[in-house]
Amino acid sequence: MSTAATVRRPRVRMILTAVLAVALIAAPLALPAFANQTLIRIGVYAVAVLGLNIVMGYTGQVNLGQIFFVGLGAYVTAYGVNHGWNILLVFFAACAVAGLVGLLVALAAARLGGLAIAMVTIALPIVGVPLAKRLSDFTGGSQGTSARFTDAPDWSGLDNDQWQFYIVLVVSAAAFLLARSLVRGKYGRAFAAVRENEAVAASMGISPYRTKVLAFTIASIFGGASGFLYLAAVQYTSPETLSFGHSISLLAAMVIGGAGSIAGSLLGGAYYVFVPQLTNAIDPNLTTVSQGAILLAVLFLLPGGLVSLPRVVRRLTRRSATRRSTARPAAETSQQTPPAQHPVPDAAPEGPEQTERQDGP
Amino acid sequence: MTLLELTVVTASYGPLQVLDGVSLSVPEGGSVGILGANGAGKTTTLRAISGTVRTGGRIRFDGRDIRGLRPDQVAALGIAHVPEGRGTLGQLSVRENLLVGAYLRKDRKAVAGDIDYCLDLFPQLQDRVGSRAAALSGGEQQMLAVGRAFMAKPKLLLLDEASLGLAPSTAKAVYEAIRRLRLESGIAMLVVEQNANLAFSLVDTATVLETGRNVLTGSSAELKGMDEIRRAYLGG
Amino acid sequence: MGTFIQLVVDGLATGSIYAALALAIVLVNQATGLINFAQGGMAVLSAYIAYVFVQLGLPLLLAIIISVVLSFLFGALVERFLLRRFERGDPDTAVVVTIGLLTLVTGISAVLWGYNNLAFPSLFPLTSVEILGAVVSVRSLATAVTIVVIMVVLQLLFLRTKLGLALRAVADNPASAAFSGLPVGRLLMVGWGLAATLGAIAGVLVAPQLTLTPGMLDTALVYALAAVILGGLSSPIGCVVAASAIGVLENLVAVYIPLIGHDLKIAVPFALIFVILIIRPQGLFGRKVVVRV
Repeated sequence: MSTAATVRRPRVRMILTAVLAVALIAAPLALPAFANQTLIRIGVYAVAVLGLNIVMGYTGQVNLGQIFFVGLGAYVTAYGVNHGWNILLVFFAACAVAGLVGLLVALAAARLGGLAIAMVTIALPIVGVPLAKRLSDFTGGSQGTSARFTDAPDWSGLDNDQWQFYIVLVVSAAAFLLARSLVRGKYGRAFAAVRENEAVAASMGISPYRTKVLAFTIASIFGGASGFLYLAAVQYTSPETLSFGHSISLLAAMVIGGAGSIAGSLLGGAYYVFVPQLTNAIDPNLTTVSQGAILLAVLFLLPGGLVSLPRVVRRLTRRSATRRSTARPAAETSQQTPPAQHPVPDAAPEGPEQTERQDGP
Repeated sequence: MTLLELTVVTASYGPLQVLDGVSLSVPEGGSVGILGANGAGKTTTLRAISGTVRTGGRIRFDGRDIRGLRPDQVAALGIAHVPEGRGTLGQLSVRENLLVGAYLRKDRKAVAGDIDYCLDLFPQLQDRVGSRAAALSGGEQQMLAVGRAFMAKPKLLLLDEASLGLAPSTAKAVYEAIRRLRLESGIAMLVVEQNANLAFSLVDTATVLETGRNVLTGSSAELKGMDEIRRAYLGG
Repeated sequence: MGTFIQLVVDGLATGSIYAALALAIVLVNQATGLINFAQGGMAVLSAYIAYVFVQLGLPLLLAIIISVVLSFLFGALVERFLLRRFERGDPDTAVVVTIGLLTLVTGISAVLWGYNNLAFPSLFPLTSVEILGAVVSVRSLATAVTIVVIMVVLQLLFLRTKLGLALRAVADNPASAAFSGLPVGRLLMVGWGLAATLGAIAGVLVAPQLTLTPGMLDTALVYALAAVILGGLSSPIGCVVAASAIGVLENLVAVYIPLIGHDLKIAVPFALIFVILIIRPQGLFGRKVVVRV
């Protein structure tokens, strides 16, 4: 409680942000190359997870195809670089192509209610892999394609990994700031309204269809940006980049990090990079099963994801403290309801309350 | 003999406490009304009995403590709940709805006989036995809901706002059929009804709820005469 | 002409596999309002279980029956211990749970049997017969017939038995069904069990052709989902028709439109969906999806 309150004070916050910024800028100079590469990869996937979070965590539309847009961004980047485009143009093309394809997919998928977006987007990586193999003029086929454009220039005096770190840092920091202001603003409220209840959102003048399309398109643009960063970091992409398994992992990372949380996306990126590395080191066959187990465990025990861990711990410790002082179990868990303290408001839910599904209209 | 007895029953939806100590009893074969304004806790009282809301206090039925049982367990003991909004199974046919009502019964022949009885009780349903319940009118759906509850051969029927959304003449017809059902079957009833005249046509005694508590209990004749009660709770 | 008939029959056979998975998905959706993305993964696990019993020396048919029974139990347990607490909540969270389950089940298959393709024996002879001058494999024909028989049995179960009536009642309105004494929880378990059974049958029928790998049915699941979208979630018959149509169409397209070919035929149903969604948002047969308030 007290630490959280301290963090919330604006001046402390500004200082913390400044310290963090300095640390991030100084880090690559001090860290070994391997550590830098790991951080780079976290940044790459954090942007993809962030995009997924906008459409899924904030708007409540399950998207199983985010990796497709990452792959698309990576391919566009490789193509642009190999054709000698200006690097800024390459970046914008990666975002724009991914966003445009995302827009088209969303225009169709969002027409169906409920889970249709999940059902349609699951096809994206499954169609995407053979498509990438087929369009070999553009993608290099099964061999994949490579593009080097992120070697450190001589004037900088930096190593390649340090240079790449800064590229990823700049783009992902911009992405996070953008996402943060987006979800806190007018669109964020529309996203939240659609996630909570589409009918209510519609009654508030928010078109669920347009909101979903918008969220999905933004997610795709973030996916494209992540693909650009992926190529900046790895300098190579192949159909394997956009495989179905990776798409599921991205979704798992989003949920495990924390759905509907900007900071959770960063944790998700870290999860995406670290955990498979860890399980692979133990036994490659364990990667999938451990991911499934962790995902289910988080859904059961920590529905807010890792980012909610401090809050949950704080609540648990506070509750056990209260319990000790009053020696009485928390009221809401017992069947017995305490007598008569609070008067029932006029509008007690006699009418519209529904504990379970009732007849549809 | 008391069939159902509620003693200081409380109930809440999450943090919101809706029942604040309701007590009432229904004798075997008797018919009791629950009256009160919107939000007084009438529907919740029925939900507390059928096990669809978290409840405290004591609920005894037929010599057993039933508080905390699941809805299907409560139903198996002989309580049939006709919920507010009827709860008909829209995709199932009228006949299938009635058969679902008889789910716990093993006596196939008697079930067939009771379906005929239902159709006799509610003649409007006769031509529609094969059609989907969702295609029925509101009044027909209400009849079907009552019929489905009867098919379980319960000891007690919980009836929630059977007149809701019905034209006055339809509501009257529904209540007439229910009264006939009561006379011919002897099923005890606990009736929630906004319309006082309809309620008093069916119940022997009634209790009035206000913000989740009983404020008045008496026979139909007594309550009917109390003008201030009518104005305050029964809306004329 | 010969090739054409052969392609159609083969397409119907694969289409029937998609149909079985699609029906399993519809079954779960009707009962619990969820889409079970793990339906394919669970079916693969079932096929592996049958494989284990075959390796132990049991006759194939017996191994399949054992696997089907175990799959029923597994499906029921999954409903009870994994999905139950998510069924009344946010459907998107429940979907993520099924994706977690898909990952877990695929992972278990991978840990126990690895990623190498395993040969699975065929229930049907690998011979061919001549129909109207076309050479048609007995396996394709028998697979399609088996699935059709199972669908008829399932239809009878739903329309003619008390259990079927109860399952439909729970799918329609679980809260109201409970008022008639239906044990809703147990019936939901039965629904999931039946869905898993259907998946298991699809798994063992398609395993000889695809060979067993943990991701064997990932693609089939995607086809099944496409069939569900095209057929409409509320219409089992629509799904079967759509699945068969997809199976036939993709085969024909793969051969007769070289631009698409075998590698990209999976894009066909989704191109179709894309077009249909623009024209007819409620699917080919289903009613319009109503947003629940």
